[in-house]
Amino acid sequence: MHKFFPTQEIGSLKKPAWLLNVVKNSEISKDDKAKARNDAALLNIKTLEDLGLDIIYDGEVRRVEMYEEPVRYINGFEFAGRVRSWDNKYYNKARVTGQIAFKENFHAEEFKFAKEHAKRDLKVPVTGAYTLADWSYNEHYQSKEDLVMALARKVIRPLVQDLVKKGAEIIQIDEPAATTHPSEMDIFRESVNESVKGINAKFVVHACFSGNDYESLAPQMPEIKAQQYTLEFANRDTWDLGLSDKERNGYHVLKLFKEYGFEGEIGIGVTDVHVDKIETPKLIRDRILYSAKTLGDPSKIYVNPDCGLRTRSRGVAFEKIKAMVEGAKLARDTLVN
Amino acid sequence: MGCRSTKEANLISSYTVGIYPRSEELIEATRQNAKNLSSLYLKGKKEFIAVQKKANLGYVCDPLLDWDDIYRPFSKLKSVRIEALNRVYETNTFYRKLSFDGDLNDAGNIIKSNIALSLLPKNRTVCITEPYTFADVHLSTKYKKKEDFTIAISKMLRKEIDALVKVGFGLIQLLGPSIAYSKAVDFGLIKDALTVITKGLNAKTILHLYFGDVSGKIENLLGLPVSGLGFDTETTSLSSIRKHSFSGRSLAVGMINSYNTKMEDKQESISKLNDLISNTKPNETFVTTNFDLQFLPKNFAVKKILRLGEIARGVKNA
Repeated sequence: MHKFFPTQEIGSLKKPAWLLNVVKNSEISKDDKAKARNDAALLNIKTLEDLGLDIIYDGEVRRVEMYEEPVRYINGFEFAGRVRSWDNKYYNKARVTGQIAFKENFHAEEFKFAKEHAKRDLKVPVTGAYTLADWSYNEHYQSKEDLVMALARKVIRPLVQDLVKKGAEIIQIDEPAATTHPSEMDIFRESVNESVKGINAKFVVHACFSGNDYESLAPQMPEIKAQQYTLEFANRDTWDLGLSDKERNGYHVLKLFKEYGFEGEIGIGVTDVHVDKIETPKLIRDRILYSAKTLGDPSKIYVNPDCGLRTRSRGVAFEKIKAMVEGAKLARDTLVN
Repeated sequence: MGCRSTKEANLISSYTVGIYPRSEELIEATRQNAKNLSSLYLKGKKEFIAVQKKANLGYVCDPLLDWDDIYRPFSKLKSVRIEALNRVYETNTFYRKLSFDGDLNDAGNIIKSNIALSLLPKNRTVCITEPYTFADVHLSTKYKKKEDFTIAISKMLRKEIDALVKVGFGLIQLLGPSIAYSKAVDFGLIKDALTVITKGLNAKTILHLYFGDVSGKIENLLGLPVSGLGFDTETTSLSSIRKHSFSGRSLAVGMINSYNTKMEDKQESISKLNDLISNTKPNETFVTTNFDLQFLPKNFAVKKILRLGEIARGVKNA
C-alpha cells in the first residue's frame, strides 16, 4: 500500500566533534581514521532510521564539503585558494585549467557502506554539473556552457552510471546554484538531462531558493528528466497554523509548478535549516496538507528539510527531523480521516 | 585601434574597486576569532597598500579586510539592526541585510573610523555604495516609501563623504550594482539621490556599474550628476561604451576581472583601452578592477593588481 508523505533528509548533517578531532589528528593512522568515518556513518544511518525517516543517507559524513569533495577527484581542476562566502565563512575555490575528465567513482566507498548497513531506502546526493561549474573559475573552456556540459557528460554521467551499477536506485542531483542565474536556466536544464541520459534510476533535483521564488525554475521543470524536486519553502513561510494562502505564504509557488504542467513529485521543505527554533508537528502537518491541496495529488508530496541540516547542531537537526516525522504522521492521519 | 593625442595620454590613472580578499593566515585567524586579529588585519592592510604602491596605481585604497561586507560598518548606527543573510546578486557570496529603523543622525564617522587613514598616501580613494543600491538591498521600518528611504540614505552617506573629503579623499567611488543589475530603474530617483551626494562636493565621484549589462542605460547614466562612470567590461561590452561621448566626463574601465583567476593579456587590454579612449574622448580615464577583488584568493588578487598597474602604464605611454 502506498504511504503518503514519505519523509527524507536532503543530505548533509554537521559532523560529530569527535570525528573532526580524529580526522585532524596527525598522530592517528589512516586506518583508524577510516574506522572513525565508518563509525560516524553508521551512527548517522542508524539515528536517521531511528528517527523514522523513510529515505536516508549517511549525512555526507565522509565528504569535506559538497563542492570541494568532488573537485578533488576530477581531472582539470586545480584549487586556487579560499574565498569568502560570508562573514568568516569561506570555501576552497578551484580553477578549471584543462580538459575535464572523470577519474573514479568518488562516492563508491560511502555508498557501499551505506547500502550494507541501511534498512531504509537510500537517496545518494551528487553535486551537479551546473553548480560545480558556477562555483569555479573557468580558465580553459570557451564558455560556461561548454564547461557545464563537459562536467555533465564526462563526470556526472559516468559517476551516476557507476552508482546505479552498484545498486543505487535514487540519485539526488544537488544544484544550489541552479536558480542563481535566471538567464542560464536553459544551460541548467540541459546539464541535468545530459547527466542522467540513458540511466535507469529515480532522479531527484535539489535546488536552493535564490530570490525569485523558483519562478525561473518552474517553466523548465516539465522538460527536465527528474521525477522529483526537493526545494526550500519553510524559510519563507509563517509560523502560524492554518491551511490558507495567508498562513502558508511560503508555498504559493507550488501553484506555478502546476500551471507550467509539472506532474512529478515535490519534496517540500518543511523545516527552516537556518534557525534553531523547532517547528511543531502541527505546523509541519499544515504545510504538508496545504501543499497536497495545492498540487491536487497527495501522492506527489514528499517531506524533507529545506536544505541540508549541517548548519545546525546535531541536537537541533535531530529535533527538527523528529518533528518532521511526527508532522508527516499527523498529515497522514488527517488525510485518511 | 585609434591614436591618442599627448594631452589625452597624460590623463590616465588607476585604482581598485571594493573589498580585498583575506590571506590564508587571516582566514584562519577569523575562523578561530584569534586574539591577534587586529594586528593581522593591520599587517594585511599594509601588505595590500604596498602592492598598490608597487603597481603605481593612481589612487590607493584601504583593502577593507576587517569589513564583513561592504555595508556592515553601518550596523554600528544606533537605529540599525542586522538582519538575515542575502545573496550578493548572482554570486556565491552573501551579505547581511540591515534594517534602518530610525533617524540616522549619528552618521558621519562610520567609514572614516573603519579605515586605516594613517596607512594611506595622499592620493587616496574610498568606495561607498550609492544610495539607490543601498536602499535597494536593505530594509527600513521607518521609511516606508522607497523614495524616502533612498533620500534618507543619501543624506546619511553625504555626511560620511564630507568627513572623508575633509581627510583628503579626492576620489569617491560610488558603487551602483543595483542600477546595473535591475532591468528597470528609476533614473529620476537616482538623480535626486546622487544630487544629494555630489552637490558642491569637492572631490571626484565615479559611479561604478557592475553585475549587469548597462549598455542600454548609458545615455541615462550620462545625465547623472557624477564626475564619471565606471564599467564592468565583462557584462557591458566595450563596443557599447565606445558609441558614446565621454567628453567632459571621466571614464573608469573595469578591465581587470575580479571574478576569474585567468590573467588579462596586457597588450590586448592596452589596445582595447586605446581604442576606447580614442572613440569616447573622456577628460580622464581610470583603469580599474571590475569590482571587489575579494572574489579571488589573495595570491591571484596581488597578480591582478600588478597587472592593472602594467596596463595603466601601458596606456599612459601609448
